[in-house]
Order: sequence, then C-alpha cells, then structure tokens
Amino acid sequence: MNRGRPRWALTIVTLVLGVLVVAQLRSQAANSGLANLNAQELTLVIANVNQRNDGLRAEVAAVERQVEALIEAHDRGESALDALRADLAALEAWAGLTAVTGPGVTIHVSGAIGGDGIEDLLNELRNAGAEAIAVQDVRVVPGTVVYGGPGGLSVENTPLADGFEIRAIGSPQILTGTLTRGGGVIAQLGTAYPEAAISVTPLDQVAIPATTRNLVPGHGQPSL
Amino acid sequence: MTAVVDRLRALPSWQVTLSGALLVLGFLIAAQLAAEGPRIRYTTQERGLLIETAVELQEQQDTLQARLLDLRGQLVDLEAEGPGSEAAVRELNAALEHARIAGGLIQLAGPGIVFRLEDAENPGDVGDSLVTARDLRILVQELWLAGAEAVSINGERITTTTAALDIGSAILVNSAYLAPPYQVSAIGPDDLYDRLTTSASFIELVEGRIQPYGLRLSFAELESVTVPAYAGAIRTRYAQPENPSADAP
Repeated sequence: MNRGRPRWALTIVTLVLGVLVVAQLRSQAANSGLANLNAQELTLVIANVNQRNDGLRAEVAAVERQVEALIEAHDRGESALDALRADLAALEAWAGLTAVTGPGVTIHVSGAIGGDGIEDLLNELRNAGAEAIAVQDVRVVPGTVVYGGPGGLSVENTPLADGFEIRAIGSPQILTGTLTRGGGVIAQLGTAYPEAAISVTPLDQVAIPATTRNLVPGHGQPSL
Repeated sequence: MTAVVDRLRALPSWQVTLSGALLVLGFLIAAQLAAEGPRIRYTTQERGLLIETAVELQEQQDTLQARLLDLRGQLVDLEAEGPGSEAAVRELNAALEHARIAGGLIQLAGPGIVFRLEDAENPGDVGDSLVTARDLRILVQELWLAGAEAVSINGERITTTTAALDIGSAILVNSAYLAPPYQVSAIGPDDLYDRLTTSASFIELVEGRIQPYGLRLSFAELESVTVPAYAGAIRTRYAQPENPSADAP
C-alpha cells in the first residue's frame, strides 16, 4: 500500500504532463500563421481556399470522367482518339503551348515604370483569374519575367517601347474591377510610379499567342 | 554541505523523479497560461470558428490535391496502355507528355537550390519584418532570370496561372494557405547559384530588403531538388484554342 501510492501519483503527474506538452505544442503550431489574422482576413483566406477547392472538385470530376471514358474505350477495344485530342487541346491552351482567344482586357502602359511594377500587375491579373496573359507579343509562361528599370524594360530579351500593351483572357468585369478598385494594384502603382499611366479596357475578344520559350526542362527529370 | 548531500542520497528515487516531473509540470502550466493569455484578450468565439474553418478547408484541399494527382496518374497509365498502337495514338501520347511536363503537371527532380525565407526573429509591430508574397515573387523572378526551369514554394508549383498574395500576415500561393517558414525550391543549371548571386537585382533584394529588415534567408545547393507537380485546375473557362479545328481529323 505504501509502495503503491507514489506510483499512482507518478502516473497521474506523467499523464497530465503529457497532455500539457501536446497542448503547448499545438497552441504553438496554431500560433505560427492563421492565429495572427483578424476576422476579416480569415474570411478572405477562407473565400480563397474555398474557391480553389471548388475548382479542384470540378477538375477531379472532369478527370474522373476522362478516366471512365478511357476505360470504356479500352473495353470496346478502341483507342479513344477524340478524348486524347480534347485533353491535349485543353492542356496546351492552359500551358501556353498554343494560341488562345477569348474575352478579357487590354492594358495600356506608358511612362516611367519598373519591371517590379509590371510583375505586380501580372500577379494581380492571375489573382483575378486571368487564364492567359501576353506582354506585347510575348506569352507569359513560367520563366517569363518583365525586368529592368523605368525606361529600360525588357521581356524575353526583347526591349519594351514606351506605351506597350498587356493582354489577358478572363472575365472582363472581374479583371477590370480587380485592377482598378480603390487601393488596388493600379492605385498602388500610381503611388510608387507617379509618372506611369495605366489604362484598362474590357474587350469581348482578345488574342494571345503561343509561347516561343522551350518549356521542356534540360536539367530536371520527371520523377515519382 | 555533506549533510545536505547525504540527506538527498537518503531520499527514495521515486521522490526525486516526482519532484523533477512536478517541476516540469509547473513550468508547462506557466508556459501554457502565458501563451493563452494575450490571445484570449482579443480572441472572439467567431475568430476561433473561422480559424477552424480555414484549417478544415485547407485539409480538404490537401485531400482533393492528392486525389487529383492520383487520377492524373491513372490517366497517364490508361493513355499509355491503350489498345491502339497506331502512330496517331503514339503521337498524341507523346504530345500529352510534353504538354504535361511543360505545364508543370509532372514532378521533376534535378540539381538546384532550396531557399528558406523566414520572418525577422523579433518581428514586433513592424509589418516590414514579415516575409510578404512580394518578397517570394521577387525571389522566384530572380530564379527564373538566373535560368531556373522549375520552381515551387512550400510544395506549390509555380505555373502559368500562379498568383502569390498577402492576406494580413498570411501568404496564399495557388490559393493555398502556406504556413511559414517559406521554402523555395528551384531546379536549374549548375551555375544557377553563381548567376543568381551576381545579378544586380538579386543583390538589391538582399541588401535593400532582406538585410535591413532582419528577414532570414538561407539556402542549400543540392544535387537533387524535388519540385512537385501542380495539383490544381487546368480547364480554362474563357480561353479557347485559336484554331480548334486544326487538330480535328
């Protein structure tokens, strides 16, 4: 009996200790990011993540249909050429390998502005759901950067003259609204580059060329 | 002095263990209370729910991403093992593989650099001492200019439609919430690091932004860096191939 009590005490203390260690670690993990946000910011995070989840669900459903169609075609002993072609056309359009057209906006940029400002603009276009973007005649794909200081901008080793154009395909209303809203990217660029003039025009039809960049990696290998 | 040591020696070992455990317990309770204290003051129930929702949605996203990658893998296998060995099918499959690699739908491994970018050690109230989406975008742009051919941030592949934005102190890339610290992985030529660190705009990033505000940037050059596949939607709603009939039979 006398020997039993300390064991009990020790067991209880160790148990509580374990629970507390976990609680402490968890509260620290939660502290690292989201816990610093206010309610409005959290709502924005939720809206963004939720929107991507919707897109992912639609994509999962579409690929499931593709997989089923291929299995059925195989069962019939066919090669499902049409399904492969449709898949290829969608992929190439998205990846920038083929020219695309659709509704969108054209943005006229003139005056002194740096490459970082143009990159901010491109990022905001993507954020607003732009599906394809071109700077003058250059399709924007991974690796494409508008660089240089005011008066000396270049893209893909091609200098950009003053008064150049950015074109993007997406919802004309959403693209225009996102870029031009109060406190939006164009307003911010107006502060950073007061001499630059940026105007956005919504259009029913915008044409965007294919990339001329070689997107096949020379150093990386496909891996699983 | 020896009397104290002797008394200690006389104590049963379980008492020593118990004292040690109680000491740690006390410390942990204090730490827990200290950690809870300042948060409780401004934590509303609504905020707690919002955090929970955000975490749940991000977990759903992870599941959906895994499912999509799995399905795309099945699709690749099915296309490859199709009964048609005719030239048209082989040609289409080759074009599909090319497009998937070009678009970033295939995981790559190769020589490169992994960067780690962290907030300043004591951020305080100055927003500039936190890593922003713009800092990450500039680092990625510098990597592209130095010759990188594939880049990811915390596992999110940078694709043609990738946006990186700030919401408060949180960063979203491809609409996924990224928890700090930020890890930027890049595959590229052997001289990627030399080209990067001799570029005037990269030096400007380090000397004009990272060092003055105490952000912490570290890196490792590796023989094999893995850049994961993009696990997101690729179907366009507005953009149509310019000449859809060209591919038709």
